[in-house]
Amino acid sequence: MFLKNYRTVILAGAIIAAALILLSYNLRYDTGTGVLKNMVLEAAAPFQKVFNASVTGVENAWKRYIHLVGLEEDNRKLKSKIAALQEELILYKEGNLEAQRLKKLLSLQDVYPHRFIAARVIGKELLVVSKTLWIDKGKTHGLKPGMPVLVLPGLIGRLTDVSWHSSKVLLLIDENSNVDVLIQRTRVQGIARGAGSMGCALRYVPKIQDVKEGDVVVTSGLSNIFPKGLLVGKVSYINRTDTGLFSKIHVAPFADLSSVEEVMVLAAEQQESDQRKMKEE
Amino acid sequence: MIYYILLPFAAILLVVLQITLADIFFSGWLTLELSLVAVIYAGFRLDLVKGITLACVMGFAFDCLSGATLGLFTLFHLLIFVLVFFVSLRIASEKLYIIAFVSLICSLLESLAVVLLYAFVFQFNLSGDVLPVSVLQALLTSVLSVGFFHVMSKTEGLKYGKTIQTPQRTWTGGVSSKT
Repeated sequence: MFLKNYRTVILAGAIIAAALILLSYNLRYDTGTGVLKNMVLEAAAPFQKVFNASVTGVENAWKRYIHLVGLEEDNRKLKSKIAALQEELILYKEGNLEAQRLKKLLSLQDVYPHRFIAARVIGKELLVVSKTLWIDKGKTHGLKPGMPVLVLPGLIGRLTDVSWHSSKVLLLIDENSNVDVLIQRTRVQGIARGAGSMGCALRYVPKIQDVKEGDVVVTSGLSNIFPKGLLVGKVSYINRTDTGLFSKIHVAPFADLSSVEEVMVLAAEQQESDQRKMKEE
Repeated sequence: MIYYILLPFAAILLVVLQITLADIFFSGWLTLELSLVAVIYAGFRLDLVKGITLACVMGFAFDCLSGATLGLFTLFHLLIFVLVFFVSLRIASEKLYIIAFVSLICSLLESLAVVLLYAFVFQFNLSGDVLPVSVLQALLTSVLSVGFFHVMSKTEGLKYGKTIQTPQRTWTGGVSSKT
């Protein structure tokens, strides 16, 4: 009767006592790896392997993902660096090209015995009605209307409107431009008038005069605006078949007027300049 | 019968899972005490024989796989099972907050028992290592047990149509959770 009433408590107590004995025994004698323990370890090994494989797989995938994230970050940084370096390279190239252009411009001083003022082109108007450049030098820099403007190898126009810090350059190809010129080879004179996209039209050259395509045209120096001998262009077209006294001649300017970035303004002849300096001294 | 055949394997699987997960998530400084949660579940839901068997097997598997002194966790799990079993006779064990509270207390008791045992038997003071994390460990265990009970309750609902309640609960004269 007693056992029936308290069998739960007795069972629990007995098992706890057994566990306590097991613990005490192991604490006292340290049995190490018994058969049961070995069996448990053997049974656990496959589970452990499966879990480890899964965990390792997930871990590797995660590491790969992190690595890829790192790669993406590196890639982004490298792209950004490449862009910055390309920008820098472009700046260097631009600087190099500018230096080359300026070097060429400065070589004008070796070719012509004049005083030059360098200016940067800040605007272009290559319209049908007007072919002009706008440069960043003006009266304060010693510029005056009418001064010839050159780029290597020769003349491109003259100053028309001069303000304090900027000026307008009337290009040779503008229809309002007229320059006294001569054919360098035969010394035949004429007037080069702007003809827009065709360059200049060489006017008042009689048909009997010896002019050939490729002849170099230079300033004649008769107008007192342009010094003698400035290169203007080359004869690109000649027609003597038309009616009239004069040949129809086209002159192509030496300089590419659409890509001019810096110019030299011919301020005075070198002798005048030297004289002025002496007076000032 | 199938319960007793599968139990050792399930216990080993659970302990291995517990050790592996603890290593992944907490690098060993906290343990996901799934075996303890299973013992608490057994205390609340299973009959005495099945529960004692589960506690013994679970504790023994944990002893073997964790490298603790053989019988240490077997004893602790048994004590916890018996404690929970008798507590469950007096309270409504469907309430999740009660389960969480009991789990918290059980986990704290287990930590305390480990510290005391090492202090008295081995003269080794573990309080500096165990006690600082024991509260966190207990909280984690209570959260786990709530989740575990919830999942098991759903599973029981699907299998039996209602939460299982052993006849033994009423046989001892305790208050059934259903009453």
